[in-house]
Amino acid sequence: MTPLPHEAHLAAMAGLDLVGPATLQRLAALGEPGATWERLRTGRLPVSVCAARSEPPRAQLDRWVAQARTIDPVEVWDRLRRAGVGVVSLGGPGYPEALRSDPDPPVLLFTLGDPATLDQPCVAVVGTRRATAYGRGVAHDLGRDLAAHGICVVSGLALGIDAAAHAGACQGGAGPAAVVGAGPDRPCPRPNLPLARRVATLGLLCSELPPGVGAQPWRFPVRNRIVAGLARVVVVVESAATGGSMSTVEHAVLRDRTVLAVPGPVDAPTSAGCNSLLAEGAVVCSGVDDVLVALGGTPGAAAPRPDHRVAPTGAAAVVLDALGWRPESVEYLVTVSGLPLRSLVGELERLERAGWVVRRDGFVERLGTSGRAVDLGVIP
Amino acid sequence: MLASVASAVLQGIDGHHVRVEVHVAGGLPAFTVVGLPDASCRESRDRVRAAVLSAGFRFPPERVTVNLAPTNLRKHGPVLDLPIALALLVASGQLDHESVAGAAFLGELGLDGSVRRIVGALPLAEVLADRPLVVPLDDLDEVRLVVPAARGAASLRALVESLRGTSPWPEPDPEPRRGRVTAGPGWSPDLADVHGHPIGRLAVEVAAAGGHHLLLVGPPGAGKTMLAERLPGILPDLSESQALEVARVRSAAGAEVGPGEHPRGLHRRPPFRSPHHTASVVALVGGGSRVLRPGEISLATGGVLFLDELGEFPAAHLDALRQPLESGVVDVVRAAVSARLPARFLLVGATNPCPCGFAPAPRCRCGPAQLQRYSRRLSGPVLDRFDLRVRLDSPDPASLFGGQGGAESSAGVQRRVAAARERATSRGVPANRALRGAALETHAPLTDEAVRLLRDRLGRGRLTVRGSQRLRAVALTLLDLSGAEAPIGADDLLVAECLRAQDALPGGPA
Repeated sequence: MTPLPHEAHLAAMAGLDLVGPATLQRLAALGEPGATWERLRTGRLPVSVCAARSEPPRAQLDRWVAQARTIDPVEVWDRLRRAGVGVVSLGGPGYPEALRSDPDPPVLLFTLGDPATLDQPCVAVVGTRRATAYGRGVAHDLGRDLAAHGICVVSGLALGIDAAAHAGACQGGAGPAAVVGAGPDRPCPRPNLPLARRVATLGLLCSELPPGVGAQPWRFPVRNRIVAGLARVVVVVESAATGGSMSTVEHAVLRDRTVLAVPGPVDAPTSAGCNSLLAEGAVVCSGVDDVLVALGGTPGAAAPRPDHRVAPTGAAAVVLDALGWRPESVEYLVTVSGLPLRSLVGELERLERAGWVVRRDGFVERLGTSGRAVDLGVIP
Repeated sequence: MLASVASAVLQGIDGHHVRVEVHVAGGLPAFTVVGLPDASCRESRDRVRAAVLSAGFRFPPERVTVNLAPTNLRKHGPVLDLPIALALLVASGQLDHESVAGAAFLGELGLDGSVRRIVGALPLAEVLADRPLVVPLDDLDEVRLVVPAARGAASLRALVESLRGTSPWPEPDPEPRRGRVTAGPGWSPDLADVHGHPIGRLAVEVAAAGGHHLLLVGPPGAGKTMLAERLPGILPDLSESQALEVARVRSAAGAEVGPGEHPRGLHRRPPFRSPHHTASVVALVGGGSRVLRPGEISLATGGVLFLDELGEFPAAHLDALRQPLESGVVDVVRAAVSARLPARFLLVGATNPCPCGFAPAPRCRCGPAQLQRYSRRLSGPVLDRFDLRVRLDSPDPASLFGGQGGAESSAGVQRRVAAARERATSRGVPANRALRGAALETHAPLTDEAVRLLRDRLGRGRLTVRGSQRLRAVALTLLDLSGAEAPIGADDLLVAECLRAQDALPGGPA
């Protein structure tokens, strides 16, 4: 029988109650994990490894002792292997290079898919869950174009921008990587599960949390440090003034990563964060070229995608002009375009079929470039 | 010794004959009421005794037994005060038997002998219309809508004198009493006040013309309530029988019935009811443990039931509306009593698109999970009842103050609505909403282009088969309003689709 890898003991520890990323780091620092597990099982751990909680440290240790007696690291390891979940540990083989020198590296990464995905240059594409069609469209195109340039798109598989970026990156080229805030078996909100499977198939889905851990609000900001740590460049597509994306930016600044932001309308709350980042000196991201430059590459390597859409004329052009670049209601369009409702809805139908606009939540929104209309239908 | 007088009690919105028998005979002085009276009815004893004495009559110092026949029918309320008092006067020899023979009486007594208003005077009078009828003077206007020969009584003393023929019957004050000059049940503000809202106005018009239930989705202050309030104003006048039904329900609910716009006529304008979302199921649907009172849905019959903040109504309340929405009546059944109440109303719901009210992004501040939770408040079956789901936007400020000229008034819209309703009637249904399956195939044929459009929507899952049928019915109403003839073209379907937005609520089913 091959000796049990020390990741097995760490994984067993990660599965205990009250063990979060920080506690696991303290446990790992105690020395050889096999020996630590033995000390834990027999209650011989120093009180200092316990997190400051409402529960006294002694009680926490006792709880671990009771729990550890029912857990066999061999079984934990077998279960992970059977589920196809890989485990890489800090300092071990397969651990992402970018995280080795991280100020706050995860001790373990539970992975689904190919860990070598992260060998490509990584760019994080992040943003709000309450995305507009504009933001989703930009994120989708950015993900697609970055992947086509052989860059691994890192994001968090959340609804909105994350999902759009992943969906774009799944269209070919380098595989995408997702760092999720729960166990790899329950990586994301239900609507994104098909996307999560595709990401795991084409690239890598990873988490510092063992299978079985559910999503909790505090875990996402903690997860964001890994996203920032993995990426060489962080692109914020759409973000409110506060929120998860801004925490990713803070982690990125701490790690000296280049931060890019996609500008948005000055009066849109969903772009307030991006616009203030730009004011603070973030680099403007208007497309894949800006990211390539930030990575130290050369722009324009790929030919610009031609817009195959037939330019609207006549009444359709009037409608498109009236629409502008923000979501508008049909009522507004009737008032502004001056067209009778009957012809307006006909024109909208034709514009939608031609890929110029998309209808969502009873509003109409203009699309910047072609090729998204179909995909956006399935992006949550 | 023994006397009997005809009267009636209310059950739901129907009157039921009651015979009041009074027996006065020797024995220890006592006053008992038998024949299934409820507590409020048994209280009659004290009122009758005081009223008889106050009116200057003698209360017999003997054993008085009052029987209310039929004895299997539960009686409630004070409406039998007056018949009991009169029968008592006859039985104790203070009033001729002939003066009350064959006549019927309704009325509550005050301790001073005055005759007071009753609830449900109109439906009660209807069942007693075949005989001389005396009702409280204050109810006479209402009762004469159905029984023109009815007489009024202001007090017990005066009534007895009128019965004896010693004084004339009183007539109600020809001047409307204070409080009666207020807007009647059918008053509705004018559509001319609504600026902008091209789609909202159209939706209200289509709802009125086709009887399609309407869901208005929009941010706070967009004008949802304003539009809904104006819907009754563009509905056609009620027919004689509809107006009578409305009056019957209102009377049974204790609401003002009064003569309508024309002297001596019924209110012909459709009612508008807007119960608050804290209303109980019984208040909405009707009922009560013993006394079956009509609920809001019956009071809205022939008119509009407006449920503002639809999502705030408990799911059970909304589900209770589903059956009446289909059948047009509600059968309220309790252990002791049951009643069938009318419930043919046009349902208008209003809701915000999301908790913050300003969906979609970028103005919306709600998370995706919040949106999903919010959209789940309205169940699929409830949403399905709305043929029209319209997304309203805050009106363009320019259209509020800009001199665009006045918007069209309700009167103009009402003419189109009436014409469209006539076309629906020629199809054998009261309104296009009632068209289903085969009738739609006959009356709402599609052009080839329209068929292609429906196939496309069905194929992409943007429409269900049922949804496509409702879309056709709405498109047919649009044709009726414009005076155009079938078949239905693709453009008509697209406009209908705009009025029946599948995605009016964000986070809901696509």
